[in-house]
Amino acid sequence: MKKLNKLFLAVIVSSAFFASCSSDDDNTPAVARGNYDGGLFIVNEGNNGTTNGTISFLSSDLKIENNVFTLVNSDKISGDTPQSIGINGDFAYIITNGSNKIELVNRFTFKSIATITTGLNNPRFIAFANGKGYVTNWGEPGSPTDDYVAVLDLTTNTVTSKIPVAEGPEKIIQNDAKLYVAHKGGWNQGNSLTIISAVTNTVTSNLTVGDVPSSLVKDNGTLYILCDGKPYYADVETAGKIVKLNLSTNTITSTINFPEKTHPGFLDIENSKLYYTIGTDVYSTAVSATTLPAASIFKASKVTNLYGFAVKNNQIYFADAVNYSDDGDIYIYSLTGTLSNTFGVGITPNGFYFNN
Amino acid sequence: MLVVSCKATVRPCDWEGKQQDVSQETCLYNKYRTLGKKGVEIMTLKKCFVFCFLVLCQIISAQQDSITKLKEVIVSDINLKKYAASQSVQVLNDSVISKNQSSLTSLLNYNTVIYLKENGLGMTSTPSFRGTTGSQTAVIWNGININSQFLGQTDFNTIGTRDFNSIAVKAGGGSILYGSGAIGGSIHLNNDLSFKNNFSNQVFFSAGSYDTYSANYRLAASSEKYSFQANISRNSSENDFKYPGNTNQKNINGEYYNTSLNTNFGYKINSNNTLKIYSQFYDSERHFSLTSPTASKTKYNDFNTRSLLEWENVSNRFTSKVKAAYISESYKYFPSITSDFFTFGKVETAIIKYDLAFDVSDKIKLNSIIDYNRNKGYGSSIDNVKREIGSASLLLRHLVTDKWDYTASIRQELTDNYGNPFLFSLGTRYQFADFYRVKLNASKNYRMPTYNDLFWEGSGNPNLKPETSYQAEIGNEFFTKNFSLSVTGYYNSIKDLLRWVPSEGGGDTWSPENTSKVRAYGAEVLLEWKTKIDNHHFTINGTYAYTVSESKQLIKGEVLYKQLVYVPYHKLTGAVSYNWKKISSYLQYLYNGEVYSTPFNSISGKIKDYNVGNFGVDYDFGTKNSYKLGFQVLNILNENYQPVISRQMPGRNYTIYINLNF
Repeated sequence: MKKLNKLFLAVIVSSAFFASCSSDDDNTPAVARGNYDGGLFIVNEGNNGTTNGTISFLSSDLKIENNVFTLVNSDKISGDTPQSIGINGDFAYIITNGSNKIELVNRFTFKSIATITTGLNNPRFIAFANGKGYVTNWGEPGSPTDDYVAVLDLTTNTVTSKIPVAEGPEKIIQNDAKLYVAHKGGWNQGNSLTIISAVTNTVTSNLTVGDVPSSLVKDNGTLYILCDGKPYYADVETAGKIVKLNLSTNTITSTINFPEKTHPGFLDIENSKLYYTIGTDVYSTAVSATTLPAASIFKASKVTNLYGFAVKNNQIYFADAVNYSDDGDIYIYSLTGTLSNTFGVGITPNGFYFNN
Repeated sequence: MLVVSCKATVRPCDWEGKQQDVSQETCLYNKYRTLGKKGVEIMTLKKCFVFCFLVLCQIISAQQDSITKLKEVIVSDINLKKYAASQSVQVLNDSVISKNQSSLTSLLNYNTVIYLKENGLGMTSTPSFRGTTGSQTAVIWNGININSQFLGQTDFNTIGTRDFNSIAVKAGGGSILYGSGAIGGSIHLNNDLSFKNNFSNQVFFSAGSYDTYSANYRLAASSEKYSFQANISRNSSENDFKYPGNTNQKNINGEYYNTSLNTNFGYKINSNNTLKIYSQFYDSERHFSLTSPTASKTKYNDFNTRSLLEWENVSNRFTSKVKAAYISESYKYFPSITSDFFTFGKVETAIIKYDLAFDVSDKIKLNSIIDYNRNKGYGSSIDNVKREIGSASLLLRHLVTDKWDYTASIRQELTDNYGNPFLFSLGTRYQFADFYRVKLNASKNYRMPTYNDLFWEGSGNPNLKPETSYQAEIGNEFFTKNFSLSVTGYYNSIKDLLRWVPSEGGGDTWSPENTSKVRAYGAEVLLEWKTKIDNHHFTINGTYAYTVSESKQLIKGEVLYKQLVYVPYHKLTGAVSYNWKKISSYLQYLYNGEVYSTPFNSISGKIKDYNVGNFGVDYDFGTKNSYKLGFQVLNILNENYQPVISRQMPGRNYTIYINLNF
C-alpha cells in the first residue's frame, strides 16, 4: 500500500512537473523553481516516540500532497516529531524535536541537502539573522538551567556555539540584527522574552512579558507577544495577555489583559489586524486596539482540536489534530468564517509555512 | 512516549484510548511533573488467592485428565478450582515454561490467545485479552492482584516466568475473586509448596545472540512438615540487534537486566494448621530502545517487593484462611541517561483477607471472604495519599449431580472514592457425554480508576466511576484421554471506559473521563493432542482467537464503530513437540493478524501481520538426574516485523542453554 501510495504520488509529482514545464500558456512563472514553489508546508508531528512525523504541501492551486519529504528523498524519513520549519534563502530547515535533528532541504524541490544532528537537544524553532541560524533548544528534560539557543553556521551546517538562556525557549523571531526568544517554559511555564544580539551572539536582555508567551509576530516596528497565561492546573492560574514591544527601543509599550481564566491560543497578523483564538473561536482587532473585542468573528466549528493557526491572503488556516493519533485535517476559512476548503494531512498537524 | 517530543508540556502522547503502558506513563509523568504536586491515590484491589491449576479441560473430581499433567502439589488456591470451573483455564507448567524465553510476554505470546503489545524486545509490554486493554487483565501473584496502582496494569516484561512453578491463564471475568481489572481475564503466577520428602536443585543457564544471558537457580526442600523453596533469576541483554533486512540500523539503547529473588516457606504446625510465607524481590533496569537514532536516550528502573503470610486452619467442615500481604512498587524514569534527573513514584499496599469456607455437605460448598486493602503512594507528582477499600464476597458451589454443577457468587465493594460496585457471577457446567461438556458463565466485573486517573495533579478526575463489564460466555469441551478441544464464544460489554481525552478546542489539557463503551465479542479455540508411536512422543498444541472489539468514534460528524487499537482480529499459535529417547525438540509458531494503531483505524496507521517461528532441541545427558543441553533458533523465518509502530524486533537469533536437575 505504501508503495502504491508512493507510486501514485510520484505520478502526481511528475505530472505536475511536466505540466509546469509545458505550460508556457498560463500565468505562472515560466520556470518554476521546483515542484514546491509557492503554496505552503504543513508540519505534522506524528505520534511521540515514533517516526511517523511528516511534512505536507498544499500548492497555490490547492492540491494537497502528503509526506513530501520521504516522497522526494525516498531513503529518509522526517523522523520523530518534526516541530517547525524555518525558511531562509533557497533552504528550508525542518526542526525535528524528538529526533534531535534538523533536516535541511531545498525549499523548492524539497531535495535533502544535509542532516544536522550534533549540538541539538530538544530543538524547537529557528530564526535567521546576520547570516546564521538560531535554534531554540530545551536541553535535558530534567534541567531548567541547560536551555540554549544554538548558533548554526549556514555555510558549514554545523552548530558553532550555544547561547545559554532561561528555561523553555520556544518561538524565536528576527528583527535586524536582533533575535527575540519567547520563553514559553518548556516543561515548565515561563514568562519572559530574551533578546539576543546576532553580532555578538550574546544575550543583551531578558524581560518579563507575561505567563506562557506562545506566539511572536512582528508588524511595522512592533513585536506582538501572545501570552496564554498559566493553566488552571498551575500553582496559580493566570489570564492571558497581548503584549506589545517597540522593536527600536525594546521596551513594552502596552499590554492588553484577557478576562480572568481566559487562555488565548494563537496569534497572527494580516493587514494590520490581529487575529487570535480562544478555543476554536476566532477574534480580530486592529493592531492599534487597546481593548479586546467582545465577540468572536466566528467559531471554526469543524475543528476538533485546534493545533495550528495562520492568517494569510485574507484566509484563515486551521490545523486540526483531531485525536492526536489519526491523520489530521486542515481547514481554510474566509475572514468572515465561511469554510472554503478542507484537506486531510498527516498525524497531528501543528503549523503552516508559506513558501513564497 | 518521550516527553521530549511532547509539544510543550502538553501532549500526553498515546494516552488516548487508554492504551497505557509504562512508557506512556512516563510521558504523563513528564508532562505533569512540572505542574506541582497533588496526591494521588488509588488502591489496590486485589483479591484473592489463587493459585491454580486448572486446565484446558477442567478437572472434575474423579476424572483423571491425562492432558493436564498436574504434578503432585498442594493446591493452595482451592478457590480457583472451586469457583472458576465454568470458565476456561489454561495451565502452563514447568516444562512449557522452560522451553520459552524468560519473559511473561514471550511465554504468553507463543502459548495463549492473549495478544501482547510489546514496544520492542524487552521493552514495555501490555496484554490484550479478549479484546480488552492492558488494564483489563489482572495479574495475580500467589492469589494477590499485583497490577500497578499507577496504571492499573502490569508490564509483562517485568515478570520472569522461571520464578514460578506454574502459570495459569484464566479467560473472562473474575472480579469476585481477583478484584479490579479481571475483565478480559487473569494471569496467575504460582509458587506451589509441596509437603513430601524431597530435595532438588535446578540450574538453568542460557546464552544467546546480542549478549543475552539468562540464569536461574532453584532449590526445593521439603518434608511432611516443612516445605522450602528458593529461586534466584537473572536476565540481561545488550539487545543491540541489527535490524533485519537491507539496513545498517541497529537497536540502540535497548539494554536491560533484571534480577529476582523468591523464597517461599511452608510449615505444617499440626494436622489442622498450616503456615505459608511467600516473598519476592524484583529489580530491573531497562534502557528504552530508540525509534530514531538521534533521539534522546532514556532508561527506566523498577523495584518491586511482594510478601505474603498465610495461615490456614481446618476443623471439621470449616476451613479458615487468613492472609496478610505487603506489596510495594516503585520506579524511576530517567528522561535522559546523561543526566541524573529522574521522576519516580512508589506505592505501598497492605492487604488483609479472611476466607472462611464451609462445606454444608459433600455437594454444597460456601465461602465467605472479607478483605481490606490500604495503600499509600507518593512520587514526583504525588504527595502522600492514602486510600482504603474493603469488600465482602459470598460464593456458593453446588454439585447437583455427577454431571452437573453450578456456582453463584456476589461481592460488594466499599471504597472511599469511586463508588461501591456490586458484582456477581453465575456459572454452570453440564457433562452431556463422557467426551463432551458445556460451560456457561455470566458475570459483572469492574476496574477501578487508577492513581493517575484520579489524582494526577492538574488532570486527575476525582469524580470518575469504575469501568463495569457485563459478560457472558459459552464453552464447549471435547476430550478423550489424549485429546482435548475447547471452543468458547463470548460477549463482553464494557461501559464507562476510562480514557484520557483532550479538552474541548484543543489546547494543553488532557484528563480522564468515563467516556466510551466497548463491545467485544469473539471466539477462542484451544487444542491439545498427545500421541506416541513406539517411543516417539508427539504433543501438538494450538490456540486461535477471533476478536472483535469496537468502540464508538465520532469521525467528521459521523458515529462509527471502530476496532480498538492494538487488538488483532486474528491470532494463532501452534506448537509441536517431539520426544525420542533423550532427545526432545519443539517448534513454535505465532501468527498475529494486522492491528490498527489509531482510534479511527486509519489505513496509514495499520500494522501489518507477522509470522514468527522458533525451533529448539535438547539432549538429556543424565541418567538418574536430568542434564539437558539445548539449542534454540528464534525467529527462524527471519521475519522483519514491528509489533508496535516504529518498534523493531530482531531477526533470526540463537540461544544455547543447559538445564540441570539434581
